Amino acid sequence: MGTIIEATATADGGSLGALGLADAAARLCLQRAQRTAEEVDLLINAGVYNDKGISEPAVASLIQEDIGANPEQQPGTGQGTFSFDVRNGGCGLLSGIQLVDGLLASGTVKLGMVVASDIDPDPGVSEGFGFPAVGGAVLLSADDSRAGFTAFRCATFPRFAGLFQSSVAWQEDTRAGRRDHGRNVLTVQIDESYADRALECAESTVRAAAAAGVLDLGEVDVLVATASVPGFAAALAQRLGLSAARVASPSGALAGAHTAAVAVALESVRLDAGRTTLFVCVGAGITVVAALYRG
Amino acid sequence: MSVGGGKHWMALEGGADGSPGAGSYTSRFAAIGASLPQRRLSTDEVMASTTHRTDIELEALTGVRERRVVGAGEDSYTLALGAARDALAHADCAAADLDMLIVSSISRHVGGLRVQLEPPVNVSLKAALGAERAIGLDISNACAGMMTGVFILNDLIRQGRIRRGMVVSGEYISELGRNAAQEIRNVMDDQLASLTLGDAGAAAILERAPEGAAGIEVAGFTTLSEHSRLCVAFPATVGPGVTMHTDAREIHRVATEDAVPMLREVLDQAGLTFDEIDYLIPHQTSARAITKAMAGFSEGFGSTPKHVVITVDELGNTASTTHFVALRKYLEEGRFVPLDRVLLLSLASGLEVGIVIFKVDALVGHYGHDH
Repeated sequence: MGTIIEATATADGGSLGALGLADAAARLCLQRAQRTAEEVDLLINAGVYNDKGISEPAVASLIQEDIGANPEQQPGTGQGTFSFDVRNGGCGLLSGIQLVDGLLASGTVKLGMVVASDIDPDPGVSEGFGFPAVGGAVLLSADDSRAGFTAFRCATFPRFAGLFQSSVAWQEDTRAGRRDHGRNVLTVQIDESYADRALECAESTVRAAAAAGVLDLGEVDVLVATASVPGFAAALAQRLGLSAARVASPSGALAGAHTAAVAVALESVRLDAGRTTLFVCVGAGITVVAALYRG
Repeated sequence: MSVGGGKHWMALEGGADGSPGAGSYTSRFAAIGASLPQRRLSTDEVMASTTHRTDIELEALTGVRERRVVGAGEDSYTLALGAARDALAHADCAAADLDMLIVSSISRHVGGLRVQLEPPVNVSLKAALGAERAIGLDISNACAGMMTGVFILNDLIRQGRIRRGMVVSGEYISELGRNAAQEIRNVMDDQLASLTLGDAGAAAILERAPEGAAGIEVAGFTTLSEHSRLCVAFPATVGPGVTMHTDAREIHRVATEDAVPMLREVLDQAGLTFDEIDYLIPHQTSARAITKAMAGFSEGFGSTPKHVVITVDELGNTASTTHFVALRKYLEEGRFVPLDRVLLLSLASGLEVGIVIFKVDALVGHYGHDH
């Protein structure tokens, strides 16, 4: 039994806000899979930058209410929905898929959705925020006849933690007469060497998995690779000796998509039976999460 | 499916009939750790710090007499690290044996009042502990964060996907009280609950139990999101850190009402009655709210657990850590015997309802008590 992707969807544009983007992507994803929100019994949000910088409740619970996934309890009539957030940076969506995979395999849930979106919470005030406003959703269920997701690998490289930092901290207003004023400011700092280190960490994680026999690069039909920096997937394909024609990644205005990047990349991918997709996500930490998907 | 074969509203793991799903193994708590700052702050001191003169009798209203607050050099990260080390010191395993490390704090203060969004906190925690092999994961689920981590680890251990994992939170949240104290004017203020918060770290190690050994009997979770906007926290405008805005009256009302059918589901799944619970550890918001909720539960079930644990009087509300700080305290004090059955009840912003029932069993031996 494997965890398969029933549908994916995205929504972009800044006017909706992070919650609106997540809601829109989730609704479209359900529509594409011809499922109703009530059928979703696990909802994970993996976005990092939401509208107000909300730290509680889980943004997933807000999305759950918005899309109407069993917001009210009706014991005895069916299963409700369990929602929480994963905060694993650019790897969060794939980490969320890994968690859904576990809870589907045990039978604890039947239909899981992972949603992610990011938006600049304070345009004009935030510093260094360059991610496009986009949300994505991936709908997952268990299928007896297909392998689906397999060979999850996770690795962290703490020596590179300083290359991608983001935080909210108080900044005093230094103007005359405003000494007792200030504000909380989001600052995102990505060092110019991050992209190269991300490639190295991704390559070493994939090669270690290949060496351990959990994946065979020769069977990879499609590479979905994200690191929140444009050009990452093509560069990783080259390092791994995979044809550029096999690469799927966010492009154009969405090339630097952050937590929703996997969903954005999947908009251009066919996950048909017989095809094998290698997922490699890299985020701050440096954190790498990789997995194989056999359609 | 529940024991009776009926439908259940919560996502459930385990139960008297072994269902649902592939529970090949039993999972159990291998150790509980905590980290409490030394500094105590009384409710009188908190109320004396408000910018506006109020006539709020906070201690009488909530039963919170004092709470611990961080000192110089302490923050969410150091509290989490201290709790993780304390748990490992009471376990038969090393950090290198952990297959998964879940960080579940609401507060992510690393380096004073700086809120770290990226990298995820697990990266530096894994490195500091030496948990190289562990799958690292940061999650966020309000005050139900640690319980959510327990739910995830329990499921993976029961399947045999992992053998051992840790969930850890460090909550530096007394700063929300400092921000609230600048704005609060009366007892109806939506930041009143922030004045009850205290700082703490807590950690729990879960592991595959030896065959035939006791452990977690059932775990369940659901999110009643029609109440998702009753308690919301975000960066403050009055100063560094965060402010939290809560419709305290309403969230207590719906939590108490909605918990009864969820408790019933989980107890039914485990084939247990309410009075077979030796210790019920609820989320610690206020002593009065807990007492009131228990009265409602007793009416609903026609019976009561043997003990209800209250720590909020001396520690305040320590967010995602409350259940595990209380467990650690009771283990240290030698209050449990191995046969005791404990029910952890999470009622958190979301509205999250999480319940875990387990037998204390071998845990008592790790804290110098063999009974």
